[in-house]
Amino acid sequence: MQTTEKILSPLESLQVIRETIDIAKRTFRDNGFHFLLWGWLVAIASLVHWYLATNNLHEHPEMAWGIMVIIGMPAAIIREWRREKNKREPNVFSQWYNMIWLGFGISMILAITLAVKNHLSPTPFILILMGFATFMSGIMLKFRPLIFGAIVIWAGALWCLFLSDVQHLLVQGACAIFGYLLPGYLLNQEVKKGHVPGA
Amino acid sequence: MYQELNPLLLSQLRLAILSYLMVAREAEFNILKEKTGATSGNLSVQVGKLQEAGYITVEKTYKNNYPLTLCRITPEGIIAFEQFYQDLKTYFDNQKPPSP
Repeated sequence: MQTTEKILSPLESLQVIRETIDIAKRTFRDNGFHFLLWGWLVAIASLVHWYLATNNLHEHPEMAWGIMVIIGMPAAIIREWRREKNKREPNVFSQWYNMIWLGFGISMILAITLAVKNHLSPTPFILILMGFATFMSGIMLKFRPLIFGAIVIWAGALWCLFLSDVQHLLVQGACAIFGYLLPGYLLNQEVKKGHVPGA
Repeated sequence: MYQELNPLLLSQLRLAILSYLMVAREAEFNILKEKTGATSGNLSVQVGKLQEAGYITVEKTYKNNYPLTLCRITPEGIIAFEQFYQDLKTYFDNQKPPSP
């Protein structure tokens, strides 16, 4: 955008604001890394938990989630640390985006704690929160596959009403595939093609 | 009507700087130069005017032994931008013909 020192009319002022904000927003991008990382981990952990529980192969089949966190958290933290280190152009949209997922993480820990304490399956509550964070990401990135992914995850949460606790795990695995992995791969392809969702 | 709009922001470059900083919150001088397409001299003058008005702060520091000028929007700058945008909306609303 070429700018000169001139006095603007109201219409020109509005155009300058729109153009500049569009330029600034283009620095906000997500290549779907976290959707792919957590999509694979949640899908695998759900299936491992379900397999161990249905075949009585382990006293604590839920340990699959512990292993998932041990693998996923360092990978996610290192990725974010590298991204922050190389970032030249901070952006208020990426800060909000990160805050949504931080809020999701905190809410999920609380939901799991409360559900387990009350002898309830935490899966539907996790799915509701996953759906919300995915929906917000889809809105912020203006990326429809994520919005559809969020709807699939919310539908999964409702479906849990009619299933046993162990079957919830299969629903969660399916939600991770259709709500995280598929949109994640599509997002990754868009960025590789040079399109910037959200801009 | 023009008197009602903040005259400091009726400059193309100053408005572009503040609009960019509304999203980025802070930006290196060279990034602002690249995004606005302004010359260093002009940008420097307009950054100075925005700084004088208290809309942005300018921090001179070093990164990897290279001098770095970091411009950051202030709460006053955010309020001024939001007010300016609101005034623009009011202006355009007043331009609409009254409904029957």
